[in-house]
Amino acid sequence: MKLLFHRITRALLISALFVIAATITTHAQDPRIRLAHLDHLATKASETVDVNIDERLIQLAAKLFNDKDEDEAKIKKLVNGLKGIYVKSFEFDDENAYSPADVDSIRSQLKEPAWSRLVNVTSKRDGIVEVYLALNGPDVLGLAVLSAEPKELTIVNIVGPVDLEKLAKLEGNLGIPDLGIQPGKHKTKNEQ
Amino acid sequence: MNEEYLWDKSGEPDPEIQQLEQILGALRHQPKPLDLSDEVQPRSRNRYLPLIAIAATLLIAMIAGALWLRVRSKTVPQLNNVRIESPKRQQDIPNIDDKKTNDILATVPGKPNREPRPKVKEVKHSRTLEASNMTAVERQQALEAKEQLMIALRLTSEKLNLAHRKAQGASENQIRNQHKVG
Repeated sequence: MKLLFHRITRALLISALFVIAATITTHAQDPRIRLAHLDHLATKASETVDVNIDERLIQLAAKLFNDKDEDEAKIKKLVNGLKGIYVKSFEFDDENAYSPADVDSIRSQLKEPAWSRLVNVTSKRDGIVEVYLALNGPDVLGLAVLSAEPKELTIVNIVGPVDLEKLAKLEGNLGIPDLGIQPGKHKTKNEQ
Repeated sequence: MNEEYLWDKSGEPDPEIQQLEQILGALRHQPKPLDLSDEVQPRSRNRYLPLIAIAATLLIAMIAGALWLRVRSKTVPQLNNVRIESPKRQQDIPNIDDKKTNDILATVPGKPNREPRPKVKEVKHSRTLEASNMTAVERQQALEAKEQLMIALRLTSEKLNLAHRKAQGASENQIRNQHKVG
């Protein structure tokens, strides 16, 4: 009886450890960025764009896209596999409305090995633009764009298999400008 | 000395033996209830260890579940939280209408000091089979979600475009500088 208790106890403890480990691993692999802590900037901003769309809403919205329309069909294809789109964009009247700590709080979440920085452009005058991809081998798990300009801070986080090829095909449609991204050629700044 | 005394206490006792009997008599077995209080108590605590472990496991599982639910609830969108805050913009967007969605997108997010945003292509929406099966509430939600989706895509593509242009500009400058040096 005593031995049975010990075995049950051990099994339960191991199960609990597995649950904890699985929770931590799942959280670590999640390409979702925490953005809620930037909400305080909304009070300083002259314009705020805050988009939170999860998989259910993406699918719901996708139903409204007309398959017979070429452009809409492309967008529908692009968003179909996505699990979430989250955007926060703040536009300020004055410079230095946000702090470097705000930018660092986002950048600290975009570290290797989960994230790979695709583009990093830093300019003293125009600020920074960084593009990150969350990769699991050849699979793209998510995209993050961090743009910190003197009077604007924008963070885009797309969760799910972002297909840059499809995104490239989307160029020029529905007001989406030409990205100049060639299918299969994901260049970094250094490669160009 | 009578050895019979040592065997069955019969006969004449030896004084030395009697003295020894008196000394060692204190250690004689005295029947009394078993008292294991000092030794057994820690073991009795061990008896509750599995129960404590089970309770702890359940507690950890509940905490993990609660954390998971919290993370999950954060991902559940609340359309009320989806906002575009700008007095000017709110005037620009008085009503969300399926037919006007693209026109609205052309004005969002408007930045006067930047190059004008490309005009959104007008698309006439015919009711798809999926859309026709929606309830009014679902349709409203879908319309709002679609609008947000387009804003997000626009912003994403704008920023990607900006990154691409800046990266290209940076590399062109590098090449120009290399020519100057060369």
